[in-house]
Order: sequence, then structure tokens, then C-alpha cells
Amino acid sequence: MDLGLIIYALNLSAIYALMAIGISILWSSVGIINMAHGATFAVSGYAAWLITGVMKPVIAEMLGNGGLATFAMAGTLVGSALVAGALCGVVIYLLAFLPIHDKPNFQVRALIVTLGLNIAAVQGLLWTFGPRNQGLPKIFGFGRWEVWGTKIRYDQAGTIIGAAIIMTLTLAWLRYSRRGLEVRAMMQNAEGAAYSGISRQVTALPVLMLTGALAGMAAALLSQTIFVSPTAGVIPLVKGLTIALLGGLGSVPGAMIGALLVGFLEAIVGAIPFLGQRYVMFATFLFIIAVLIIRPRGIGGLLDDTRE
Amino acid sequence: MPELLEIGKLSAGYGPLRVLHEIDMTVRAGERLGLVGLNGHGKTTLIRALTHMSGWQQGSIKLDGKEIGGARSLGAGRRTPGLVRMGIGVAPQGDAIFPGLSVRKHLECGAFSKLAWRERKGRIDRIFDIFPPLRPLEHALVGKLSGGERRMVSIGRMLMTEARLYLIDEPSLGLAPKISHRVMEALWDLPVEGAMIIAEQNVALLTGRADRMIGMHAGRLRGDVGHVALS
Repeated sequence: MDLGLIIYALNLSAIYALMAIGISILWSSVGIINMAHGATFAVSGYAAWLITGVMKPVIAEMLGNGGLATFAMAGTLVGSALVAGALCGVVIYLLAFLPIHDKPNFQVRALIVTLGLNIAAVQGLLWTFGPRNQGLPKIFGFGRWEVWGTKIRYDQAGTIIGAAIIMTLTLAWLRYSRRGLEVRAMMQNAEGAAYSGISRQVTALPVLMLTGALAGMAAALLSQTIFVSPTAGVIPLVKGLTIALLGGLGSVPGAMIGALLVGFLEAIVGAIPFLGQRYVMFATFLFIIAVLIIRPRGIGGLLDDTRE
Repeated sequence: MPELLEIGKLSAGYGPLRVLHEIDMTVRAGERLGLVGLNGHGKTTLIRALTHMSGWQQGSIKLDGKEIGGARSLGAGRRTPGLVRMGIGVAPQGDAIFPGLSVRKHLECGAFSKLAWRERKGRIDRIFDIFPPLRPLEHALVGKLSGGERRMVSIGRMLMTEARLYLIDEPSLGLAPKISHRVMEALWDLPVEGAMIIAEQNVALLTGRADRMIGMHAGRLRGDVGHVALS
């Protein structure tokens, strides 16, 4: 395996991990399988496109065309995607959590409501912006490094590093902050959390905003490699959901390892001459199904040796 | 002594099943009340109804004169965190621990009030004084601890914030006799002001220590037996 393949695999893994961690945290703490995660992804991408479009002349006027302007552009793009993702989280909280969170079968209801939100949001984007792909400014620039004879594109390196930074921040927040402790308590035992005075209604909002922002980050990073379109969220949603399942729904390390495994699997299958890109999805699902048959609790079950 | 808890015509159950039948009882401040009865006769449901965790419920529950009961057919657990913050500490049946968190993190979860959070270091130390076996396990994951240690963690979590009313559900459940005695001794010696309701099947563990004992049979209270001494 050459270095280029590894970089490509890590690039895929980074995007998948951002999506899968969000879905996994949200499911285990709040109990929503968020089908609107894909819509959050697409909406964040469009928000970043709109805002960078508005800000581009402003930044060009103020900072000229140098490195500082590129930096400001990058900040605008990532920041607007993060904020848009978090706002999508607020919308999901208001529509798919608050009205139904104490009704019977909340989880099924939430699944249906978020699926509806997803369809509505994608149609809304189609209605407003049309089906055309939109290119976002390339914040990492065009170009490539030569490392040991392999070429690494800037956008690939930027995606991997950006995703790693955001995931480290998320994990640190979960581990060291008080709100993070509450979220972890809720993920592990909802009843125990209630008896510790941790309210689901209150904690669900920051969790939804955080997972939305993770999807926004994924959108901002993926926009550097491919274009933004109304249906851009579908594949990341499906991959994120299946990888969260592979990781054991609720295990953050499981989701990260799952994302790495699937990223490498896809890169390798795509590179094998007689299989190629058209067998990538096929191989991924076959792998996930096989793992779940052998280990129903997914990768998280292998990592976890505690008992309820 | 003033009445801390007044329950009037409390019924509760799960779906079509009615477990509690119009229960009336009062608990005075500072009282240690033993609730005895066989499995399946409603002790746990009574404790769950007091914190709005039962499937449905109706009837009045007054904590310090404030009505916290009412009729409810949905939303189990929705009001629980609020009630816990009002001063009901709960050590539930089966402990409801967080398997992937350490003992210290558990106790920090229990320190939800502002004051308790600020003083959490000293309070965790106090819990370790009450339950000395927990001290060396401070950073161990609770999911790997034994049943007795889990019970201590669960009770310790309840004790991190001062409550007016402590509800302890079957503190001896699933423990070896020697360990359950030790847990019960620690419970009786707790330096807390609040009233305590201890649901327990094993009458011998309550004998002589509880201020009052109430029997439960088929979802109704049977006799306020006061101080009993069984030998």
C-alpha cells in the first residue's frame, strides 16, 4: 500500500468519523436517530457557500489577496458551517425533540420526524438553489506536497488535520467539562442521570447543537474536495449511520475505529483493479453486516469490558 | 415534628396494571421509615411514583407542603430531575450506575447543585469516610466493581447533595449477608438531617433501627407497626 492510498483512506475516514460520532452521541444520550443529519450537512454547506459569497468581496477589499485573506476566508467558511450546523441542531430540538420527548415510542416518532425534516430540507434547498452543484472557495489552496515521492493534495491534508482538531476538541469537552460529564452520564444510564438531577430537556439542546456543528464541519471539509449540492448529505448520512452502527451506537471510540476501518476498506477496494469504485459500497455494507452478525454490539462491544 | 411528606390517595402503575391502590401516608422530618413487604407488592412502585418514574400515577404528594404529585399518564421521568433538585435523593433499585465512569466521576454527577459542585472535593472525601472500601477504587470504572461496591457508589451519589427526603430502594438486594449488614450500618449512621424511606424485604435488617415500619401488601399499606423488635 502506498502513501497516497493511506492519505485517501484517512481523508474518507475523517469525514465519516465526524458524521458517525455525531449520530452516535445523539442516539445514546438523547435517543434520536437523527435522519436529518444529512440535511444539516447540506444546509451547512449552502450556508457556507452563501456567506463566503457575500464575504469574499469584503475580505478582498480589506485584506487584499495575500495569505491573510485566505486565512480570513477559511475562518468565515468553517465558522459559518459550524454555526449553521448548530442552528440546524436548534431547529431539530424545537421540532423533533421538545414536542414529542415525553410521548410513548419517542424514538420511533423522532426517527419519523427527523426523516420528514430531512426530506423537507433537501426539497427546500432544491426549490431555492436548484439542483446545480456549487463550488466553495478552496481555503487550503490548490497544490500538493511531495512526501517520499507521493503527492499529497492540500485539501486532503487540511481535511484530515481539521477533522482531527475538531474531534479532539469534542472528546476533550466530553471528558473534562461538567456538561460533558452530564452527557456521558446520560449516554450510559438515563435513569441514573435523572436521579442525579440531569435533565434530558436541558441537556438535549447542547448535544443537538454539538452534533449539528460536527455535521457542519464535515460539510465544510468535504466542500474542499467535492461540490455542494442539495442531495450532498445523503451519502454522508448513510455512511455515518452505518458506521455509528458498526461502532456500536453510543461508543465514540467505536465510531472512530469504525470510520477508520471503513475508510481504509473503501480506499483499498477502490484501488484493487478487478473490483474498483463500483464495488466500494457493496464491500462496505458486506463488511458492516458481517461484523454485526459476529459481534452484535459492534466495535464498541469489543472495547467495553464493563457490565451494566 | 412537622410533616415532611404527605401522600394522599396515591395510585400508580404501568399501562393497564394498577400497582398502588390509593395510598395515604405521612413522613415526618428526620424520620427513618422502613417500608417492608414481599416482592411485587408495590414498594419500588411507591418510590418510583414519588419521583414520577412510574408509568402513570394519580393522587397528591406534598413535600414540605408543596404539591408535587398530580395525575399523569405519560412522561415517566420527565419531572424526575426537577424533583431531585427540589431535595429528593434517590438510590434506586439496581443502582442505575454509569458503567463507563469512574467512582469519582459518579460522585461528581451527584453534586449537581451549585454549592455541592463547589465543595465536591470535600464531599467526595466525606463519602470515602462513610464507605472506606471506595477510597482505593477512586479511579476504577464502576462497571467493573462488585455488587456491594456499586451499592456504595449509588448511595454515595445520592449523598453528594443534601436532600430533605432520601429514598433508598432495597439496599440489601443481591448482596451477601455480611456486606448488606455493612451497607445497612452505614445507612443508619449517616450524618444526614433529611428523612429516609428504606424499602426492604428483610425485616431483620430494619429491626430496632428504623423509627417506624410500614408493611406493604398488594399495593396497600398494612399497619403502621411502629417500633418492632424481632429476634
